[in-house]
Amino acid sequence: MILAVLFANSEGNILVERFNGVPAEERLHWRSFLVKLGADNLKGVKNEELLVASHKSVYIVYTVLGDVSVYVVGKDEYDELALAEVIFVITSAVKDVCGKLPTERLFLDKYGRICLTLDEIIWKIFFSSGLELMELLDGHCDILALIGYHCDLRSV
Amino acid sequence: MAQPLVKKDDDRDDEVDYSPFLGIEKGAVLQEARVFNDPQLDPRRCSQVITKLLYLLNQGETFTKVEATEVFFAVTKLFQSRDMGLRRMVYVIIKELSPSADEVIIVTSSLMKDMTSKTDMYRANAIRVLCRITDGTLLTQIERYLKQAIVDKNPVVASAALVSGIHLLQTNPEIVKRWSNEVQEAVQSRAALVQFHALALLHQIRQNDRLAVNKLVSSLTRGSVRSPLAQCLLIRYTSQVIRESTNDTQTGDRPFYDFLEGCLRHKAEMVIFEAARAITELNGVTSRELTPAITVLQLFLSSSKPVLRFAAVRTLNKVAMSHPTAVTNCNIDMESLISDQNRSIATLAITTLLKTGNESSVDRLMKQITNFMSDIADEFKIVVVDAIRSLCLKFPLKHRSLMNFLSNILREEGGFEYKKAIVDSIVILIRDIPEAKESGLLHLCEFIEDCEFTYLSTQILHFLGIEGPKTSDPSKYIRYIYNRVHLENATVRAGAVSTLAKFGAMVDGLKPRIFVLLRRCLFDNDDEVRDRATLYLNTLGGDGAVVETDEGVKEFLFGSLDVPLVNLENSLKNYDPSEKAFDINSVPKDVKTQPLAEKKATSKKPTGLGAPPPGPPSTVDAYEKLLSSIPEFTSFGKLFKSSAPVELTEAETEYAVNVVKHIFDGHVVFQYNCTNTIPEQLLENVTVIVDASEAEEFAEVASKPLRQLPYDSPGQTFVAFEKPEGVSAVGKFSNMLRFIVKEVDPSTGEAEDDGVEDEYQLEDLELVAADYMLKVGVSNFRNAWESMGVDFERVDEYGLGPRDSLAEAVNAVINLLGMQPCEGTEVVPPNSRSHTCLLSGVYLGNVKVLVRLQFGLDGPKDVAMKLAVRSEDETVSDTIHEIVASG
Repeated sequence: MILAVLFANSEGNILVERFNGVPAEERLHWRSFLVKLGADNLKGVKNEELLVASHKSVYIVYTVLGDVSVYVVGKDEYDELALAEVIFVITSAVKDVCGKLPTERLFLDKYGRICLTLDEIIWKIFFSSGLELMELLDGHCDILALIGYHCDLRSV
Repeated sequence: MAQPLVKKDDDRDDEVDYSPFLGIEKGAVLQEARVFNDPQLDPRRCSQVITKLLYLLNQGETFTKVEATEVFFAVTKLFQSRDMGLRRMVYVIIKELSPSADEVIIVTSSLMKDMTSKTDMYRANAIRVLCRITDGTLLTQIERYLKQAIVDKNPVVASAALVSGIHLLQTNPEIVKRWSNEVQEAVQSRAALVQFHALALLHQIRQNDRLAVNKLVSSLTRGSVRSPLAQCLLIRYTSQVIRESTNDTQTGDRPFYDFLEGCLRHKAEMVIFEAARAITELNGVTSRELTPAITVLQLFLSSSKPVLRFAAVRTLNKVAMSHPTAVTNCNIDMESLISDQNRSIATLAITTLLKTGNESSVDRLMKQITNFMSDIADEFKIVVVDAIRSLCLKFPLKHRSLMNFLSNILREEGGFEYKKAIVDSIVILIRDIPEAKESGLLHLCEFIEDCEFTYLSTQILHFLGIEGPKTSDPSKYIRYIYNRVHLENATVRAGAVSTLAKFGAMVDGLKPRIFVLLRRCLFDNDDEVRDRATLYLNTLGGDGAVVETDEGVKEFLFGSLDVPLVNLENSLKNYDPSEKAFDINSVPKDVKTQPLAEKKATSKKPTGLGAPPPGPPSTVDAYEKLLSSIPEFTSFGKLFKSSAPVELTEAETEYAVNVVKHIFDGHVVFQYNCTNTIPEQLLENVTVIVDASEAEEFAEVASKPLRQLPYDSPGQTFVAFEKPEGVSAVGKFSNMLRFIVKEVDPSTGEAEDDGVEDEYQLEDLELVAADYMLKVGVSNFRNAWESMGVDFERVDEYGLGPRDSLAEAVNAVINLLGMQPCEGTEVVPPNSRSHTCLLSGVYLGNVKVLVRLQFGLDGPKDVAMKLAVRSEDETVSDTIHEIVASG
């Protein structure tokens, strides 16, 4: 399942976080782990270039989008490739809402729309053996086209 | 707050430094939420307030029950507005606030109206919100609309309904299962996402029906799936079908393999990868099947995308565990990945190379790894250490260089987990490779000279105490151990004293010198250290002379305690020192179930990274241990057989009970494994009342109730029967679960004081002849048959009546006797008219039995059977015939 989706600014402050099935006491650990991972590796990385890591049995795919870094954490069925799909949909949605690569200001200005779009494109669905698979559900026509078009990772 | 506190300055129009949420505060936002109540709604303003609420929630802020309720009621007013943007925000915030059941009712009518709206956007979102917050009763009312939505021509609406269906399947499966036809139609949708979601739901609906899944896969693999994501799902389902089906024995072909192989040429990388991985994970995959998959994975290794490189190397790493030679072709590509910027990829590449490498390449690899180790994090280092340990066990001749590597990294900086991994590896190598023992022990000795982890020091000291005395020159370790007495904290000092004493007890020649050292410890400033030294000096005996230590003393000092430590600890805590001396025999040996509070804490875990909970004891050994710890059953003698658990309740009932039948020579013990699946209940004094009126030869002799059965924490209760010795008595037992039920407050986990007695009817249990037979195979049936001789052979013929097939008749007889089929004779070739089946087993009283069954078709369906039995005891041979005759 997807364990977490997290947006942070360049200083490592959290902008949006959604945990799913992660106990409250483990969240702090994940937050700091992800931010450190980004601080160590995201410097000089091109926009939307996907990086990957694994921590114990969990996979993390992360990238940078303008001033914002995006992390997606998953396990089991949500391996690195499924997460790459998920993060691609997320970054496309954010870019689409912001109209360009987001600065932090722009991201916060469009905060409501971003929450809305995130809600409408993804959220948990249960998948074979009770695991979750992304709900590539969309209310936003442009994004729907994007997902349909890019499902094969071509633009990753 | 995400931003540093900078005052907004009009002169500086630097947008980066200003956050629209600067100084946001929960109280103020809740105040602002009053605009929702305005008679003239301002949609823009309301959207902004909802955004702020969302921001607060996303920053980890929580609302109290009252606050959430207030906001929720205010939000419901916003349904009056016709602004589409605002309506969408309302949907989001309702889900975030997750209203309680009594509040939901306020919005259901609005949402149901939206669900039938002409606006696609409303329909889709309203479906998702309703399904999230609704319960079963309302669901039946809206079911009609949901079914329509699944086949809606707008893909967004269809997907919303399908995805909601997947959620609802967890809570209301019987309703969702009725949508099968609509979902099936949606699988054929032209929209990729709808197809994907529909396939996922359809599979979930049918997942317990193997035949249906098989049909689904067969029809879809012919090529009607367009969406790459759906194709990935299909590959997963296909490999599930392959796992559950058997190979075609004639041609050796695997069903659906061609489909998987075809997917390797798909245009989407994720499909290619999914297929490659499915092939590598096939049971008993041959190298011919593996080759094409490995080839595409090899191509991915040099991809420019880290995600693909990672995926490929991770899969190859797994393949290397079972088929190292298949991966060797990729070694060159993999070696270049050692310098990959991504450390996860580099670590996987290294560990794969360590698995596939041959003996000659070890040294070269070790060189590369040494450079690599300095710049990776501990968690990666641990993986490498584990890989090196496996490599060393594979090539014991290379132990010198590998052990050196381990000792070198042991000296470098590192956290506890990492050091523990290294120490564990060295310990395993010492145990498994005798030549590595001495050097390994010395490495450990050097490590404890400068070890900051008390836990590791004491572990190593304990290990030295076991292994050190058995080496050629035990005296050389004494210095390292005794240094600990001077330099370390009390825990390590106490450990060192025990280790010294072990050397004294095991090596008689060292005893006088050890005594000198132990006497010095008598002046230690810690009680435990002094007490240990005194104990050892007084019990080892000989006043420090070179004499052999008494075996009884060794057992007393260093033997293992035969009781669980937790129980010992509890008994010691309850022990009152004023009365008689503590008796270790009074410590209970059975392992208690976890208390509820503790269980609750751990039950949250599995969603994160926790390990699965330990299952019930499954092997005969475990059963034997369990039964021998119960005083009532100790006189029954040796356990002959334990059956597989037989379910006495249907799946998903309030209480789940299964029973294991333990057979002794003159007794039978039923072990009832009970699970309470109701969180609000605690059961106490749980027993099973067994009515044995249909089992005449049995008389109940003992019953051991279960004191407590908390929620989701299995426990056992036992009932024992006496039966005539050595006789395979059969009968039917009816069972009733009796207990005292107490209500539990879910918020505190505490049970009420008063309980009510209650009963729960379980299914009947039968003791059959097969329960007295152990499945024990023989390697060569013919030899065993000949050597058994004809003395107690009994042969007879039986008519088995009309049967569906010969195979069914063979299986029925095998199950009836409960014996082990030999030489694969349980498999009946299709369309054969006759078959011979060979069985072997051990009957109650440890009597070996061999059976030869010859089946033949008599007429179109009637099966005739000739049964020949040979055993070591003529009554047993007769018994087998009686079983068949009465079965």
